[in-house]
Amino acid sequence: MFNYLVRRIFTSILVLFGVSVLVFSVIHLVPGDVTMAILGRQKVTAEKVAALREQLGLNDPLYVQYGRYVSKALRGDLGNSIRTNQPVAESIAGQMPSTFALAMSALVVALSIGGLLGLLAALRHGTWFDTLIMSLSVSGLSIPTFWMGLLLILLFSVKLGMFPSISNGSSPAQLFLPALTLGLPEAAVTARMVRASMLDVLNKEYIITARAKGLPQRLVIFKHALRNAMIPVVTFIGLQMAYLLGGATIVETMFARQGIGRLAVQAIYNRDYPMVQGVVLVTAAIYVLINTLTDITYVMLNPKIRLK
Amino acid sequence: MTKLPSSSFQSNSPGVRMFQQILRNRSARIGGILLLALIFFSYAAPLITDKDPNKTQPSQALKSPSLEHPMGTDGIGRDNFTRFLYGGQLSLRVGLVGITLGAVIGITLGMISGYFGGWLDSFISWFTDVLMSFPDILLALAIIAILGPGITNAMLAIGISFVPSFMRLTRGSVLSQREMTYVEASRALGSSDFRIMMKHILPNSMRTLLVLITLGIGSSILAGAALNFLGLGAEPPTAEWGAMLNAGMKFVRQAWWLTVFPGAGIFLAVLSINLIGDAVSDAVAGTHIIQKEK
Repeated sequence: MFNYLVRRIFTSILVLFGVSVLVFSVIHLVPGDVTMAILGRQKVTAEKVAALREQLGLNDPLYVQYGRYVSKALRGDLGNSIRTNQPVAESIAGQMPSTFALAMSALVVALSIGGLLGLLAALRHGTWFDTLIMSLSVSGLSIPTFWMGLLLILLFSVKLGMFPSISNGSSPAQLFLPALTLGLPEAAVTARMVRASMLDVLNKEYIITARAKGLPQRLVIFKHALRNAMIPVVTFIGLQMAYLLGGATIVETMFARQGIGRLAVQAIYNRDYPMVQGVVLVTAAIYVLINTLTDITYVMLNPKIRLK
Repeated sequence: MTKLPSSSFQSNSPGVRMFQQILRNRSARIGGILLLALIFFSYAAPLITDKDPNKTQPSQALKSPSLEHPMGTDGIGRDNFTRFLYGGQLSLRVGLVGITLGAVIGITLGMISGYFGGWLDSFISWFTDVLMSFPDILLALAIIAILGPGITNAMLAIGISFVPSFMRLTRGSVLSQREMTYVEASRALGSSDFRIMMKHILPNSMRTLLVLITLGIGSSILAGAALNFLGLGAEPPTAEWGAMLNAGMKFVRQAWWLTVFPGAGIFLAVLSINLIGDAVSDAVAGTHIIQKEK
């Protein structure tokens, strides 16, 4: 177990190193001169270009630039935005709570709706209900997030006037539509996952034994089946959480919500490279962290692996 | 729309058997018909309508669906139905080009990685892990940030973001194939590494890859529409379903037809592919069992 922990954490550090190199390279991979891309249509003077090169630190050798970038990033300094001159780290920290609230409420939507429907579909395996849930789930997988968001706006906001279509805030009413938009497609994935995992467990011999000794259905399901079926689902929750952080980009742009996803999209429009780099680095780092924690939790939950 | 993995048409070929099994699946048949219809309507657009997708008629702006304009008109009076048909061409193409790029690069890397092993394998695997740590659409966004917005760059970005999954799946499959006796036999006969990879390992890995390819087309169309929706793909006035949705969003209160139809296009395209993909996945599992029993 200890060996596994050390190896797993080491791999994550290696991956983070790669992520930092890639994110650092963004500014150097831009075709042509990056300062031209940034200054764009402005009147370009030699002084302006020189000043920007100085600000971005482009005059030093690459390894010096990389070393500086990483050592600053580790101290929480991600540079300043080219457009607003605000520290990138501050902007991200300011927008993060909004994205986090959105991702968390979407996760609740995904797990409660998806989990419940998946469980019911497994228990009624092969019936019309199972078929219905699975058809809904395929549709849910095929729906573009942004289209579903627009349909939800059409229904709840335009037709019924119940919820605002621009919802920048974290109160339940403001979170409702964005969370549903982001959460429902994930609910479709969750339902499939829970159903498959539950079906797998329900066919195991210990379930047949539990039934044979006359345990009531409720106990068989909740005490024996569900607990074991949850093991793969836990891994999955970790992955989902990270995916929701990425998917927030579209939902935030749609509902004109604050958040790091919208920050990234706007930074791309504005060619604000330090901001793009900052958001991408932070999101990827969170993702790697969640993945590592998920893997470790998985090993701890699963005695078959834990005891090896 | 499933490509036959085998070129021979003998009835006992596993490829044909698999194809027949897919055809027997009802959802796959529905998906196939749906997809063919979408492709037909998109590419036969000039035959179906004589309108120009980019012709503006401000006096006709935001008209609701009628016989003259079956899907209404947009904010500057362009015919939404015509734009829907032409938009389909681009949306479907973005999906197909994206997945092809991702598959070709990913499969090549996966084969090299799995076949040769050693430091090359460690390096490629590490690189894949790095690419995989950009969740969801973020990798494509980062690539767009580098290359700048545009439809070609969007296709490239989507392609690259599919590389890791293809690389991993191919590598896993190659690792299991590499130790098989037929590979050993071929090597004993003096076949080159390249020949072994192309003639033996790739065809035998194709079955598992086929599922990822089919389902990937759907994800690729979704990703393309998402980038276009964010305004990072096709430039106006080009008709594309995601971009049309973005433009229609401004009129969500006045003109429902501008958001409902293009979105339905994306949804139906992805749904049809997912239906086929599920059947391919079942068929692949099926042929696998048959082969095991033999």
